[in-house]
Amino acid sequence: MFGFRFRALLFKEFRQMRHDRRIAFVAILAPFIQLCIFGFVLSANVTNLPLGILDESQTPESRELISALTQSQAFKLQGFYASPQALGRAITVGTLDAGVVIPFDYAHDLYRNQVAQVQFLLNGTNANTAEIAQGYASEIISVDNLRTLHVIGAGGPVQLLPAFLNNPGLVGSWFMVCGVLGMLMILNGSMICSTMMIKERSAGTIDQLLMSPATTSEIILAKIIPLFILLGTMTTVSIIAIRFIFGVPFHGGLGLVILGASLCVLSGIALGIFVATLAKNALQAQLAVFFLNPPLAALSGAFTPIEAMPKWLQPFTIPNPVANWAIIARGALIKGSPFDVLWQNFLWLFLFAMILLTFSVIRYRKQLA
Amino acid sequence: MRRIFAQVRKELTQLVRDRLALALALLLPAFLLLLMGTAISLTVDDMPLVVQDLDNTPASIKLVDAFRASLTFRVVPWPVQENPVRALAGNHVRGVLIIPVHFEQDLARHQGVQVQLLVDGTDANTAKLVAGYAQSVIAAYNVRIAARPQQGIQAIIRLWFNPGLDSKKFYGPGIFVLVLTLFPTLLAALSVAREGEEKTILQIYVSNISAHEYLLGKIFAIMVVFAMEAVLLTVLLFTYFGVSLVVDPTPLIVGSILYAFCVAAFGVMVGVAIPNQLGAISVVALGGFLLVFIMSGLLFPIENIPVQLRWICNFVWGRYYIEIVRDAFLQGAGWSATWWKTLVIAAIGSVFYANAWRSTRTMQLKY
Repeated sequence: MFGFRFRALLFKEFRQMRHDRRIAFVAILAPFIQLCIFGFVLSANVTNLPLGILDESQTPESRELISALTQSQAFKLQGFYASPQALGRAITVGTLDAGVVIPFDYAHDLYRNQVAQVQFLLNGTNANTAEIAQGYASEIISVDNLRTLHVIGAGGPVQLLPAFLNNPGLVGSWFMVCGVLGMLMILNGSMICSTMMIKERSAGTIDQLLMSPATTSEIILAKIIPLFILLGTMTTVSIIAIRFIFGVPFHGGLGLVILGASLCVLSGIALGIFVATLAKNALQAQLAVFFLNPPLAALSGAFTPIEAMPKWLQPFTIPNPVANWAIIARGALIKGSPFDVLWQNFLWLFLFAMILLTFSVIRYRKQLA
Repeated sequence: MRRIFAQVRKELTQLVRDRLALALALLLPAFLLLLMGTAISLTVDDMPLVVQDLDNTPASIKLVDAFRASLTFRVVPWPVQENPVRALAGNHVRGVLIIPVHFEQDLARHQGVQVQLLVDGTDANTAKLVAGYAQSVIAAYNVRIAARPQQGIQAIIRLWFNPGLDSKKFYGPGIFVLVLTLFPTLLAALSVAREGEEKTILQIYVSNISAHEYLLGKIFAIMVVFAMEAVLLTVLLFTYFGVSLVVDPTPLIVGSILYAFCVAAFGVMVGVAIPNQLGAISVVALGGFLLVFIMSGLLFPIENIPVQLRWICNFVWGRYYIEIVRDAFLQGAGWSATWWKTLVIAAIGSVFYANAWRSTRTMQLKY
C-alpha cells in the first residue's frame, strides 16, 4: 500500500496543492472568519426589548412597577403612550415589542388586598423571543409581588430553584460555535474536495491516472491525505479560536474532540469525492454541493435544538455528520461526557465516511465511460 | 423595447431547455422552503424531564402530575439511589427535577419548600425556556394548592399576531425570503457569467443592442422566474404554513416587484464582474446566502448582533423584504410601516444596476 507508487502520487498531489495558493486561503482563513461571525452574530438572547407603557393609574405604586420592569436588562423603556390605540399601533408598526397597560384602579386594588391586574402585550411573531419575554415578565412581576407585599412566599409555598449546569452563565455562543464548526468542516471539505477531484477530469488527466499502474484506492487515498492535512489545519485553528476567543471550557478529553474532528473532516471529504464522481463537470459538482449543504445544516441542530424539530424529521438527523459532530463537540468540550456516552455518534460518523468512500472507489473507474 | 422582450424570450427558452436550471429554479426552492421551514424552530415541546421524587407522598405526586400534564415536558422517573446529574450526561435529557424529602410535611406546616431543577446549560436558549416553563408549572401548582384567593399583582399576558406561538409562522416567511434571495440571484449570475465564459458575449457586443437593453433583458427574465417562484412559495405558505394575508397586499406586491429587480440586479452585477461560473457561484453563496441568512433577522433578532457589526444589517437587502413579508403575513401594519422599506430596496437595487451598467456600458471586451 505505501510503496513507491503511492509515495509518488502523494508527492504529486502535495505539489499541485502548493501551486494553488488560493486554496489555502479558502480552506483556512475563510472558515475562521465565518466561525467568528456566526459565533458573535447569531444569538438568541432576549435583551433590551423595546417596551411601551400606558399608565392609567399614575400613582407611586404604578411607577414602582414601571421602574421594576425597566431596571431589568430584558426590557428597555421606549416611551409612554396615552391610549390603548396608540400603544397597539406602536406594536403593530414594530417600534415596540412589548407593551404594558396599568389600569386606573391598580393602586386601589393593591390596598384593598385584591388582585391588581396588569396587562402585558407581547409581539408573538417570533415565538422564541415572545416565550422568553413572557417568562421574564412573570418573573419580574412575582419578584415585585414579594417586595410590595412584604410576605415571604407570596409567590407561593413551593419555590423552584433552577441551577444551570455546564454553562452557568448561559453563554449562547458556546452552543453555536460547536455546531457551526461542524457545518464548516462538511461545507468546506466537500466544496474543496469536489473541485480538486473534478479538476483532474476537466483537464483530461484522469485518463493518464487510470492508465497508470496505481490502483483506484491508491489514487483516491493520495488525493485524500493532502486535503485531510489542509482541513485538519483549519479545524485546529478553529478549535483554538473556540477555546481562546469564545472561551468554551475544555472539560472532556481532547482526544475525543480530535478523533471526532478527524472523522468529521473525513466525512466532508468523502461527501466531496462522492459528488465529484457523480457530477459531469465542475459546475454541476458545485451546484450539487450547494444543494446538499443547506439540508445538512438545517437538519443538524447546529443552530437550533434537534428536539424543536417535528418528531418525524428527527430520525433524519441521526446519520447527519454535522449533527453527530455537534453532539460530540458539545459533549466532550462543555459537558465532559466520556466515550461510552458518545460512541454511537463516533460510529455514525465513521459509517458515513466509509460508505461514501467505498462507493466512490467503486464509481471512480466508471467515470470514464 | 422590442429588443428587450426578444432577449427575455431567449433567456426563458434557454432556461426551460436546461433541465438542471429548471429544477434549480422551481423544485429546489419549494423543497428548501418546506424543509427549512419545518426543521428550524427554537421552541421545544415534549422535552424529557427526569424527576427524582425523594418524598413520594400524595403532595409530591401531585406536583409531578402537574409537570406530566404540561405539553412541554415528558416525565421520566429516576431511581432514588442514583445520582441525578448522571441523567444529564447523555444527550436526551435537558433537565432534572428533584423533590426533597419532607416535601408534603413542610407544605402542611406552611413553610416554604424549595424544589430543585437542574438544567443542562449547554444550549443556553433551551435552558432558559426549560427554566421558564418549569417556573410557570410551579406557579400554576401554587395557585391550585393555595386555599386563600391569590393577591398581589397578576400579569395578564396577551400574545399578538401569533397567539399559538407557532414557530412555523415566523420562520416560514423568513425562509420564503431566503429562498427568493438565493435562487434568482444564482440563476442571474450564472446566465451572465456563462455568456462571459463561453464567449457568446461577443455576439452581443457585435449586435446593435445597448448595455441597458442587454442588462434589462436578463433582469426581466429573472424577474419572471422570481414571480413564478414567489407564487409557488406563497401557495405553500398559505397551505402548509397556515399563514394568510392580514392586510391589503399592495405593499407586498410592490415590495416583491422591487425586490425581484434588486436580487436580479445583484446577480447580474456579480455575473458581469466575474465572467466565470464557479467564481460567480461562490460570490452568490457568500453575498446572497450567508449575508441574508445571518444579517437579516431571519433566525434571531437583529438587536442581538453586537453594535460593532450591526450597521452592516442596514445594507442587507433581504432584511427589508423580510420585514415587508412578515408585516403582510403576520403583523398587518400596511403601508405606514413599510413605505420606506420598499424605497430602500429600490435604492439598493439601483446601486447594483448602476454598477453592472458601469462595467458593461462600453460593450467591449476588457483586456
